[in-house]
Amino acid sequence: MTTRNVDGIYAVHWPRGGKTVDIAPLAKRPDTLEGKTICHLWDYMFRGDEIFGWLEEALAERFPGVNFVSYEEFGSTHGEDETHIIETLPTRLKELKVDAVISGMGC
Amino acid sequence: MLRAAAVAEKAGVPSTSLVCEGFVGQAGTTSVGLGLPNLAVSKVPGHVDTQSVEELKRNVLEVTLESVIENLTTDPDMAVAIREPEATDIVFEGTFEEVNRLYYENGWSDGLPIIPPTEAKIQAFLDFTEKDPHTAIGSILPDNRSATPWNVAINGVMAGCRPEYMPVLLGLVEAMADPEYGVEHSGNTPGAETLITINGPIIRELGFNCEQGALRDGFQANSSIGRFWRLYLRNVAGFLLHQNDKGTYGNTWRVVLAENEDAVAKIGWEPLSADMGFAAGDNTVTIARYTGGDVILSVFGDSAEKMLPYLADGVVKQNGWQLCFTLGIATGTLKPLLLLSPILAETIAKSGLSKADVRQYLYEHARWPAWKFEQYIGEFINLVPGRRTLQDLVNLGKAPPQFAESDDPNRMVPIVCSPDDFMIVVTGDPMRTNAYTFSHNGMLGYPVAKKIALPSDWDVRLRAAKAY
Repeated sequence: MTTRNVDGIYAVHWPRGGKTVDIAPLAKRPDTLEGKTICHLWDYMFRGDEIFGWLEEALAERFPGVNFVSYEEFGSTHGEDETHIIETLPTRLKELKVDAVISGMGC
Repeated sequence: MLRAAAVAEKAGVPSTSLVCEGFVGQAGTTSVGLGLPNLAVSKVPGHVDTQSVEELKRNVLEVTLESVIENLTTDPDMAVAIREPEATDIVFEGTFEEVNRLYYENGWSDGLPIIPPTEAKIQAFLDFTEKDPHTAIGSILPDNRSATPWNVAINGVMAGCRPEYMPVLLGLVEAMADPEYGVEHSGNTPGAETLITINGPIIRELGFNCEQGALRDGFQANSSIGRFWRLYLRNVAGFLLHQNDKGTYGNTWRVVLAENEDAVAKIGWEPLSADMGFAAGDNTVTIARYTGGDVILSVFGDSAEKMLPYLADGVVKQNGWQLCFTLGIATGTLKPLLLLSPILAETIAKSGLSKADVRQYLYEHARWPAWKFEQYIGEFINLVPGRRTLQDLVNLGKAPPQFAESDDPNRMVPIVCSPDDFMIVVTGDPMRTNAYTFSHNGMLGYPVAKKIALPSDWDVRLRAAKAY
């Protein structure tokens, strides 16, 4: 027979904190990438330079008129300029008339 | 990478993020914290670093490409928020064992027993601050949760802290919330762990160990505050293993390091708090993340001249791949830490050297050959693209000129950009000739210090608390 522990009952509180960011919807997607401008954002790690090149080539074959903006337009999204690049990203995307973003590399 | 995608989405631009297979889960939990739980990711099979060009290209074109197209052309379902408790809600009533089981099963504890955070225990901690319990100290990434004195107190109770540690805990969370520190990087694969260093009269007042065994558990202040840090990272920042915490190996939490300020004063040096911009004698916390460390054992000699070559050798050997934080990823963010036992510091000081002199010596002598430096940042690891030489980096304005004073590959170059990048703390067994050095994690845990704010009647409250 087991004996229930009777050393006390504790009314305890949640150790986490309230969320400071509300859930937001994602941006509206286009029906096709034809004629769209896609920009690459890169953290300058994990072979993104090779991978973005292959993706560009394949996407250009599938979607006529698609354009690309190089990650070099922005610089590394993970490094000493990270804060500045992230802060100015909305403006830069607008200036460059970007329709979609491919961001890498998470490894 | 995901943060950039999230910013694009919030600016109305669709995105997809390229993620290696083993990181898809982390991307999911990070996305929740960013407020975009359905942020699109495109998987790259395996890990890119171990694949041949042909293998990687095939994986990208056969797997990743279709996902990129789908993610950029198909509207995802709307995400729905999960209801969570309010800050002051009582989430459970039960026995010690039941409480511990609940907290463990919900990911709120680290696997060791926690002290149940009851109202009375929380209030005892809050009595040691004049802040409103629900004042926001900051929003802690990556979960984007509000840090408040209330949840600081709860996690302090759980960790086994005493109520009078509360001012230290608040200083630590203020430091954690400082963007300079970069808490969002705490789940990166190097698995570095924070080292907290404490300075000021509070070392004695709260009974921190600053002598023999300074980095070992066994003293309540050092141990429980170290554990608090990791619990707070878990519960408020959101770093859980197999989710947001992707440390390949990781470290367990470190006990708090306290500087031996009596020893520092005796030799006329300044404590770390002064190096970090505060007055000597201020109560401060300093945080920085380190991947590991090693002892420099039995430093022999009766002068600085005899001791420093071995210390420089120990420091330089502790830094290899980390040099990508000196140059490559985030210029000048590597801050190696050297701990000197009081007897070593005293012997060096007797030779007439100040702390600044020791830093200068390390800058001039803790060096690698240029070819070796380039091997670390451009060949062994794949984190600095282009395999740039030090000369390339200088030419691009991404390195100070001292890294390319000649084209001799055997020239010796420093491991930091400035002598002031070396951090030195006097601590450990006062009468043993060992030193210790830590490998710093650069911008992924940059040193940040905060002054500890004590309540106005600190002495009275402290005496009352110690009576229990």
